[in-house]
Amino acid sequence: MRSKIEGAPSFAYIHVDLDPGESIVAESDAMASMDSDLDMKATFNGGLVSALLKRFLGGESLFVNTFSNNTRKTRRVTLVQKTPGDIKEIALKGNAICLQPGAYVASTPGVRLAVRWAGFASWIAKEGLFKLFCTGQGILWIGAYGGILFRDVAGAYIVDTAHLVAYEPSITLKPKLAGGLFSSFFSGEGIVTRVEGKGKIAIQTRSLEGLRDFLNPRLY
Amino acid sequence: MQVEIQHGPANAAARVILNAGETLTAEAGAMIAMSGSMKVETTTLKKGSGGVLKALKRMIAGESFFLNHFTAGKAGDDVWLAPTLPGDVTTLDLGAEAMIVQGGSFLACEHQVNVDLGWQGFKSLFAGESVFWLKIKGPGKALVTSFGSVYWVDVDGEYIVDSGHIVAFPESLKFVVTKAGKSWISSILGGEGLVCKFQGKGRVLCQSHNAQGFGGALGPLLRPRN
Repeated sequence: MRSKIEGAPSFAYIHVDLDPGESIVAESDAMASMDSDLDMKATFNGGLVSALLKRFLGGESLFVNTFSNNTRKTRRVTLVQKTPGDIKEIALKGNAICLQPGAYVASTPGVRLAVRWAGFASWIAKEGLFKLFCTGQGILWIGAYGGILFRDVAGAYIVDTAHLVAYEPSITLKPKLAGGLFSSFFSGEGIVTRVEGKGKIAIQTRSLEGLRDFLNPRLY
Repeated sequence: MQVEIQHGPANAAARVILNAGETLTAEAGAMIAMSGSMKVETTTLKKGSGGVLKALKRMIAGESFFLNHFTAGKAGDDVWLAPTLPGDVTTLDLGAEAMIVQGGSFLACEHQVNVDLGWQGFKSLFAGESVFWLKIKGPGKALVTSFGSVYWVDVDGEYIVDSGHIVAFPESLKFVVTKAGKSWISSILGGEGLVCKFQGKGRVLCQSHNAQGFGGALGPLLRPRN
């Protein structure tokens, strides 16, 4: 399998060339175009119970698609997320990473997707009650609205609500006021997420919630 | 006519430089800046000829009723054109063969290029796209817009493109609206639904992003209209 991210950072998409016998898993509706003889099959997003939880509590899609190359030639599928923004590749070598709702784009078959309770702290920080827990061996593609920044956290780091995209399981989230009571309400920062521990985090440079808050007062 | 595309793929604008007396036809509302000596004429069809019927047909295809014609007063006069959504602008060099352009993607063309409605029949209705597409016929240059960046797909045999990702394709390519997977259940459950399967030989211009997909992600966050 060979893959290439193009159009980054504003409109990233992934060209994936599958050799005979290979397959790739992608978020529902992620396919933009593909060779017509690739096989596409919808499966539950991490098992039935997990998929239902994700759909009704986590706001994720119920199904993911598996694209398999059962031909004798290399075949291409082009994948994209719903929002404009960047896509990044994360290599998993037995380690795990937690994704916020909407961050998952695609993964190779060796990556296992499961739903985990993210906790009320995550929910208060507008990051969702559930997280997608990815483990195994392979490549994972994550997407964001805007650009993606990676930060190595050792100790504590503050991220604005709805900007955290992914984090390693060694990291814990705590909602927190941005400053004192006064500055938290008047600085426009309000509640922020305090991430604690040692590990990598991914941050998106824009948020759909930010766009929502900009647009809503302007709608008539 | 000379075209320079700048600030792509996220916020592309096309700078079109004209010779004296040369005319460019553009979608109403596409102009963002131009030389002071540029002459502008607004018609429902081609410069110098009426055609309310054709304008109506164009409007059905999701384009505007009026077209603007920019004629250079002197050599080197320029006009800047841009679409509403973020995304790219692509120049199509039309030969003898007509191209079909997705309703909404047409931006501008050289004056001699013919813009007409291309009826794609009921099959495009089922693909969730507008039923009407524009048919542009050269020879000449045309500019089309996309939501996101663009890539070309060389079809030789069969190729599937999700209907929201098609920008333009040659008229000679056949297409059928079909399911993306082997089974209908998988196609519907997988969120891909109906897709376009192109058949034949030719190049399809695809856009990386799907405006309806983004609308689907943003829409539920917006407050309802009163």
